[in-house]
Amino acid sequence: MALPASARQRRLSGRPDFYTSYTQDMALFNTAPKRRAVGVLAVGALLLPFLLTDDLLQLLATAFVAAIGAIGLNLVTGYAGQVSLGHAFFIAIGAYTAAALSGDPDDRTIGFGITFLPIWLLAAGLAAAAAGLLVAPLAVRLRGLYLAVVTLSLVFLGEHLFKEWSELTGGPGVGRPAAVPQMFGVRFDEDGEIFTGPQKLYLLMLVLLGIFAVLARNLARSGVGRAFAAVRDRDVAAAVIGVSLPRYKALAFAISSFYAGCAGALLYTVTGFFDPGSFNLLLSVQFIAMVLIGGVATISGSILGALFITLLPRLTRELPDLVPFVSAQSSGTITVFQIETTLYGLLIIVFLIVEPRGLYGIWVRVRNYWKSWPFSY
Amino acid sequence: MDEFLASLVRGLGTGSVYALLAVGFVIIYKAMRVISFAQPALMVTGAVLVSYLVADLSFWIAVPVAVLAVAALAMVVERLALRPMIGKPVFVISIITLGVDIVIRVVVNGFIGRDVRQVGDPWGLATLDLGGVAVQERYLAMLVVTGVVMLALFAFFRYSRTGLAMRAASFDQETAMSQGISVGSVFAVSWVIAGGLSALAGVFVGTGGGVDQQTWIIALKALPAVILGGLDSVGGAVVGGLVVGVVESLVGTYQADYAPWLGQNFAVVSPYVVMLLVLLVRPYGLFGTREVERV
Amino acid sequence: MMSPRCAGAVLAVAALVLAGCRGGDEDEASTGSGGVKTDVGVTSEPCPEAVDQSKGCIYLGTISDLTEGPFAGLAVPITAAQKAFWKKVNADGGIGDYEVDVTKYVRDNKYNPEIHNQVYQEIKGDILALAQTLGSPTTAAIIKDLVRNTIVAAPASWTSGWAFEDVIVESGANYCIESMNAIDYAVEEFRPKSVMAVHYPGDYGDDAAAGAKIGAEANGLQFRAVETQSGQQNQGGAIDTIVSAKPDLVILTTGPADAAVIVGQAAARGFKGRYIGTSPTWNPALLKSPAAAAFKAQYLLTGPWATFTSDTPGHQAMRAALGNVTGNDGYTSGWAWSYPLKAALQKAVDNKDLTRKGLLNAVKSLTSVDYQGMLPSGAGNYSGSAKDTVVRQNVISKPDEASPTGVSMLKDFFVGKTAQGYAFEKPCFL
Repeated sequence: MALPASARQRRLSGRPDFYTSYTQDMALFNTAPKRRAVGVLAVGALLLPFLLTDDLLQLLATAFVAAIGAIGLNLVTGYAGQVSLGHAFFIAIGAYTAAALSGDPDDRTIGFGITFLPIWLLAAGLAAAAAGLLVAPLAVRLRGLYLAVVTLSLVFLGEHLFKEWSELTGGPGVGRPAAVPQMFGVRFDEDGEIFTGPQKLYLLMLVLLGIFAVLARNLARSGVGRAFAAVRDRDVAAAVIGVSLPRYKALAFAISSFYAGCAGALLYTVTGFFDPGSFNLLLSVQFIAMVLIGGVATISGSILGALFITLLPRLTRELPDLVPFVSAQSSGTITVFQIETTLYGLLIIVFLIVEPRGLYGIWVRVRNYWKSWPFSY
Repeated sequence: MDEFLASLVRGLGTGSVYALLAVGFVIIYKAMRVISFAQPALMVTGAVLVSYLVADLSFWIAVPVAVLAVAALAMVVERLALRPMIGKPVFVISIITLGVDIVIRVVVNGFIGRDVRQVGDPWGLATLDLGGVAVQERYLAMLVVTGVVMLALFAFFRYSRTGLAMRAASFDQETAMSQGISVGSVFAVSWVIAGGLSALAGVFVGTGGGVDQQTWIIALKALPAVILGGLDSVGGAVVGGLVVGVVESLVGTYQADYAPWLGQNFAVVSPYVVMLLVLLVRPYGLFGTREVERV
Repeated sequence: MMSPRCAGAVLAVAALVLAGCRGGDEDEASTGSGGVKTDVGVTSEPCPEAVDQSKGCIYLGTISDLTEGPFAGLAVPITAAQKAFWKKVNADGGIGDYEVDVTKYVRDNKYNPEIHNQVYQEIKGDILALAQTLGSPTTAAIIKDLVRNTIVAAPASWTSGWAFEDVIVESGANYCIESMNAIDYAVEEFRPKSVMAVHYPGDYGDDAAAGAKIGAEANGLQFRAVETQSGQQNQGGAIDTIVSAKPDLVILTTGPADAAVIVGQAAARGFKGRYIGTSPTWNPALLKSPAAAAFKAQYLLTGPWATFTSDTPGHQAMRAALGNVTGNDGYTSGWAWSYPLKAALQKAVDNKDLTRKGLLNAVKSLTSVDYQGMLPSGAGNYSGSAKDTVVRQNVISKPDEASPTGVSMLKDFFVGKTAQGYAFEKPCFL
């Protein structure tokens, strides 16, 4: 018996989980609190450029780009269960494609002068996705920790390639300028009349993050996302019920590498210069940390994790003002750099032991507590 | 020909260091099914400890002391960071060991400081002349020590009760527990052995050049060795380590003449290439057991 | 749930409150005490560690390799020497109505151009000029920005490109000249027939290799360049090439730890040729490494000025200011590099223009700088063209355990004939 039209899309106030149609259940912002919360966040994020200083805006812009990369890694490792330690390799491919396309043709390194942002961003993503597709057959043959070590070897091979190819990268210890973000005559990394460079970059990265996040969330709740979950949970059983393993593993790697490539292209536009030695195991581990600390298999978790990890060094640098025996210089018994790295490692350990669902899991706990307050248990 | 032999001996020497590290990886894997990324930190800790102890003790006493100290550190790590995680996904535990590696390395780097620390070994850069081939003494020392250690480990696993318990636990944990084997102590012993082996490897890595803040990355070359040999085969790890060392050394000697287009220092990444090639043919390594997946 | 109007009101109030958090934009141009024009990096408040609280403060930035990079063993003494230099300047009355601070804006670059650029972006809004920017490729990463923002910088580096940049106040002979002089000296002393340049990539090593090539060609020697990257485990290729090609002379342009590996391992494999290393390649700790014997037998080093223990007025002032420290030529370099900046600042204050442009004009008008004897007379001319003003003299030293710095001078300032005759139309390394 079909519901009357008036009841089909009805919502009951005070009953946020009462869905009267499938589309309602599957909608992106299916409850009113979610809609309001996202609205407030969006407005808040758009207002921030007028409230924060330039260096904080630069940091946040970097955090947003890192979030794009973290979302990509979450898609392949969290949603599809394919352990990938090779994220740094795909980020590097994206970064160099973009830098080469938009670089100055008269400089020491390769450059084609195409500075129009959508072109080099897409090209970076597609180049990295192509590399991801090449790696995918390995994922079909190998599982678990073997796959992790093989993706790790990709990072080392990529490092070697980029260090040798000095016409493209400048060579280790030398580096090259990053991609030039320019759209319709507006340069995003230089100060303009109304907005300063960091303000423009922040808004650009915010908009791009929003686009990529919505795309990823849509992917996760679609059939492809469900296929990924099946591959992660029991890939043999998934193959039995008709989920084509090679196809979906390849798709997972390709999409995640696309995200990584786009993130790589944008990551260095904030500071404007990068060195081939940056794309090492440490970078891969940073993204793994973002995914695990933020929350595996959640998009908002990836964003939270990326913000957390990117802002952590800045937060620890405020420590010397609070704690007397920590020194801000590079000598002294305990330096702020050592605390930063130790904290980073300790946070990875503690989060994984105590709250394996990461920051998102903590958020869920807090939310559940307040849902039934004052009758929480 | 002389050059080939000299390169071969060099490769076997460095390969034996990789073998020590690889065996540590494999022992932990066999016990816990986890790849521990903490070995680089333990390796550097061993080397740095020796570099401090040689100021007061003789090298031959400092090394066993450092090995025991690092083994104890490894046990502490296992108790604190890994014991609460039994039963959790294996990948997550591996990342925890990565976190442990970061923390330990920061602390040890504070003790290394800016300069290169010397381990005070008695061989230095002395060379022996073996039948016309100039061979550095330290490589021979590495080979001999590794051989002795491997024999000792073999005897331990074959003939002692704990060794038997470890083999049983790696084969089937639940059955081993039902037979009264404490799987927790198997984990602890496996970490102790791996820590000791890493420290020993660290001391050898420190001969010839010393140890500085970048030395830890050498330990990661044991990963291709482990994968090559098979994650759950101790013998495979030894073979893998030696193969990686020899390949690296031979490529280093001949690549500049025959294939300069591969770039400078291709030898550093050649183990990974070899690993990839082997995996294409045998996805579980040369001696690893094929996983049986039950649905 | 709050009504939309209520929520809007709360947000507006919050926004107004937080709006106070946004800091001001760059300092407006203003006039300081005594009618001196200032813009960025100069305040009328006293310095944090001021000697005379009535004077204003000039902030200079320092970007150096203080922790992990290959030159940390030199960079920390360089930075300490510069601190001592400017402290002495402040104690002697400062510069006009201002004292100079080099302690507040110190950053570590780990000898990585990306990090160098990052930390430079962090401090560039607060400083008048850079008292130190360490590394040739690292400074090359920010040179366009330095020019765009008219920030004068004293580099802790000697690449030949600096002679062609107005904002850079370099001191001492560059690597290109240094290698030419090294080869000329070698030809005089032991007549090598082949030269190999083993070098880091980028403006540091490639510049020296270019100079070595020029010197080798001028003397009719065989030449080969071998690039090597920083890191002990990356030296295998260079060692293999040295041992198989067996050159008579190796011009070594790397960091100290890598030099130890190369010299030691090559000697262990039977290499008996000679090395001449550029000045950053040496560190006194090398005499305690296993390669010490090889260094003593085969190694010499070139340098832009006399070593730490020498007795020019400048050296004596430096040792007096530093007090009791273990000798290290990092101190010598850090001290010597500061003289031109001091002269430029003094001239800018005399011109009553302490803006960034004013400082640059002061630099461009300097025809000589008083190095208190540390450099030969005529050095410090920033107003002429590169080929007329570049310093062409070097000293040669050898490793010596008896000396506190591990080296003792073999030959005082000299110019080889290649360097004397070379016309500097463009940088040796482009």
